[in-house]
Amino acid sequence: MTDRRAQGEVTATEDGRLAIPAMLNGRQTTLVARPWHTLLETLRDQEGLYGVREGCGVGMCGACTVMLDGEPVSSCLVLAPQVAGREIRTVEGLAAPDGTLSDLQQAFIDHTAFQCSYCTSGFLITAERLAEEHPDASREEIRHYLAGNLCRCGSYVKILDAVADLLERRRAGRTAD
Amino acid sequence: MDSHPSFAPSGTQMQVPGMLDANLRVRGRVQYAMDAKMPGMLHAKLLRSPHAHARLVSIDASRARALPGVIAVITGPDLADRDDIYPYYGPIFRDQSVLVMDKARFVGDPVAAVAAIDLDTAQAALDLIDVEWEELEPVLSLDDALAASSIVHDEPPRLGQTFADIIVRTEANSNICNHFKLRKGDIEDGFAKADHIFEDVFTSPPVQHVPMETHNCVAWWENGVLRLISATQMPFSVRAQLAEIFKVPQTRVRITVPTLGGGYGAKTYAKVEPVTAVLAQVTGRPVRLHLTREEEFVTITKHGMQIRMKTGVTRDGKIVARHSTCYFNTGAYADIGPRLIKNGGFGTGGPHKIDNVWVDSYAVYTNLAPAGAFRGYGVSQAAWAYESQMDMIADRLGWDPYEFRMKNLLNEGEPVMTGEPMYDAHFKDLLATAAERIGWDANVKAVRHGNKVRGKGLSVIIKASVTPSTSSASVKLNEDGSLQILSSAVEMGQGAETTLSVLGGEVLDLRLDQVSITHPDTDFTPYDQGTSSSRNTYSMGTAVKMAVEDIKQQLFKLASDELEVAIGDLEVFKGRVQVKGVPERSVGYGDLVRKARAGNLLATAVYASNGGLDPETGQGIGSVHWHQAAGAAEVEVDLDTGRIEVLKYHAGVYAGRIANPAQAELQTEGNIAFGLGQALYEEMIYDGGQLQNGNLGDYMIVSIEDMPKQISLDVLERHESHDIHGIGETSLPPCMPAVGNAVFRATGVRILDLPITPEKVLRGLRAIARPQAHGQEIDA
Repeated sequence: MTDRRAQGEVTATEDGRLAIPAMLNGRQTTLVARPWHTLLETLRDQEGLYGVREGCGVGMCGACTVMLDGEPVSSCLVLAPQVAGREIRTVEGLAAPDGTLSDLQQAFIDHTAFQCSYCTSGFLITAERLAEEHPDASREEIRHYLAGNLCRCGSYVKILDAVADLLERRRAGRTAD
Repeated sequence: MDSHPSFAPSGTQMQVPGMLDANLRVRGRVQYAMDAKMPGMLHAKLLRSPHAHARLVSIDASRARALPGVIAVITGPDLADRDDIYPYYGPIFRDQSVLVMDKARFVGDPVAAVAAIDLDTAQAALDLIDVEWEELEPVLSLDDALAASSIVHDEPPRLGQTFADIIVRTEANSNICNHFKLRKGDIEDGFAKADHIFEDVFTSPPVQHVPMETHNCVAWWENGVLRLISATQMPFSVRAQLAEIFKVPQTRVRITVPTLGGGYGAKTYAKVEPVTAVLAQVTGRPVRLHLTREEEFVTITKHGMQIRMKTGVTRDGKIVARHSTCYFNTGAYADIGPRLIKNGGFGTGGPHKIDNVWVDSYAVYTNLAPAGAFRGYGVSQAAWAYESQMDMIADRLGWDPYEFRMKNLLNEGEPVMTGEPMYDAHFKDLLATAAERIGWDANVKAVRHGNKVRGKGLSVIIKASVTPSTSSASVKLNEDGSLQILSSAVEMGQGAETTLSVLGGEVLDLRLDQVSITHPDTDFTPYDQGTSSSRNTYSMGTAVKMAVEDIKQQLFKLASDELEVAIGDLEVFKGRVQVKGVPERSVGYGDLVRKARAGNLLATAVYASNGGLDPETGQGIGSVHWHQAAGAAEVEVDLDTGRIEVLKYHAGVYAGRIANPAQAELQTEGNIAFGLGQALYEEMIYDGGQLQNGNLGDYMIVSIEDMPKQISLDVLERHESHDIHGIGETSLPPCMPAVGNAVFRATGVRILDLPITPEKVLRGLRAIARPQAHGQEIDA
């Protein structure tokens, strides 16, 4: 059993649920879920990762965005068994283990890029990938990349400022190196 | 999307962050009501009516009750049989039952509720409840409602405790839920003086608030006390309703409110709490109800509206008379509609000096989802009518819409539509700045580039804040000199808790880290009417400042003995009381508290505003002060597709004194996002009473990519003013008419029905033989 899990295979638990081995925020874990449970509800209900939040349930709002093998996905559209053997990163995994905020998180604070902050986790995950994938993105490109994350409070101006500033800071950092 | 705020920071000594708990918010650690987990907690689901209007013939839940994992199923008839429950609620009329008992009044009206060990089981149980309905003729539109061939509420309304500012005027055997009247001056004489009279009809559709966090709560009973953790903007209103339902004193209901994932008016008044509380009572266990997005759409909406507006002007451009007939579609249950029609109704008077105004404003029942408070509170609908009509009149008479507005906007001391004088008037400043920022040119209507044409639009609005209203706050000064604020203000993203900490802390010249504030807890934080109506910073802020001022006087008294000087010679400075200008002769707050042997110094303050309107004339005090805003938009319309892009938007709002600059900007920018959505995209589309687009795949809200690339803000501050003006909603209503007016100047197409979709624009373009013939054009 343990061997199979180590190889990333889904196994059945005694009560008929599925044991799903995965890397979660840098540690090996076993998610336990029914086959029809989404990654979203599994992360919240079982792992207590409340930074992952449902907004629409149909993959349109981006509030539940997590990184799956380095790519942002709507966790409401991913079934828990699909993440077997894969790597998940949530907003809770962005800060350093000692609690130090990432430069992206800090940029959101510096620009007060949120109001109710329900959508913030999703924006951070998407923006993190944007920064990796398109370090030289223009403001126009940032707008396009973040269009799948909705913020009903409308903190968009500040979110754009925060992400543009982050890219700027990282570019300055690279030049300094 | 470059933002250019034009205001200077306010006079506070503090470094004001947008949010005290920003660190938690970016780490995903801030707690919402939906994150609460209780031991043994059950999960609830609601069975909802599939019919818009249907009599409940029978309901049988026995199969559902037999499903393993189902702990309880309650139905409407079960509640009707219970003497210990008064199963009705609603803030003004108790017209909504906890579950349908006699008939369903909209598609989605809950008729049964299941509590089960998990959501899967609760969901499965819904399919096992057998319901027999007898369909009735549905009332699906305002026209249906007014024809009154079918009546949504057969019984006269059960009235609850009266609100100080609400006049109830219902009509028997009709679908008129309430009627507000305003009679200012002599309307006939006014129109007799007019050289031109214009009459137009404007409509706004129902839209939904779409708070990212849907309605949810957890309820449980603990030693005979009903406890709730709820995402509500109004814990005291919800408490009162629950106490009434369970026939217990209000002390037997305790509600705590964590931070909200958005509210915008959706979370005012009881919604999910009554049924969840009944389930918790029946099961003896904690129960959580958390609505899906689809359920959220039919829980509460903005009022769909139709306004017939007749305005008389003189040949020299003065408005002399306005007659408005407003129908607000309040849906199946009144919620706060009977009050909202007042604000929306007198709101049609606009920010103009008009001597003769006549308004009839009606809340009308239909078999659609209930409508209630929505950011803007009726004023968006009103402003869509009057600010569109301002441009229509100007166009018909060949006037410059800017000058026409300037000629009619209220000046200092002139009477507003409710008859009271306008104080601190800034309409003209706001409009002038808006025109300047958008680059207004009376001589250029449209600028065409190939098949795209650009135009600009302006608007100015006036809005009330609920009056009279009451906020109270308690404060404690501890032995270490730290200040604790106990307030029932709800933090819903507007930064209320941070702003109140600033306002309280600065009275004692404390650092922000020396100030803390509680979330609302009805057992411990004193009464507040609710976090709504853009009233918190002003109303609760005033209560907090008054309470801390009381503490300051207590400190002065103690320090006067200690330092042996007269109270009048003392001042506070950085956490100490000192002899004015002599820091060497000072004593710390903590020392004074300890010497007083009080443990802590305590103070409570109540701020209650006064006002109200005459029931027959609508004249009196409509607002403790009037909120003022202007908007300016530049749009580009694709003549081939009708697609509208808002290139540039300017929002101007009068703030009095700004307490939290970052949040002032955020709320104003948020209003732009909210307003542009309603201008261009948002509409709840019904077919036979069935909502067709109740999900975020089909219902479009504004994304970051839809925001104008250029945004400018004018959050107008008057430094000598101590009067804080609410800005949570104020800059929203100008958005829709500013865009509509810009589209008209660009294309000559006047849209009267929101939203301004490409289809409507194309249809309008076709109706105009040659769109190029419109206005003056410059080929660029």
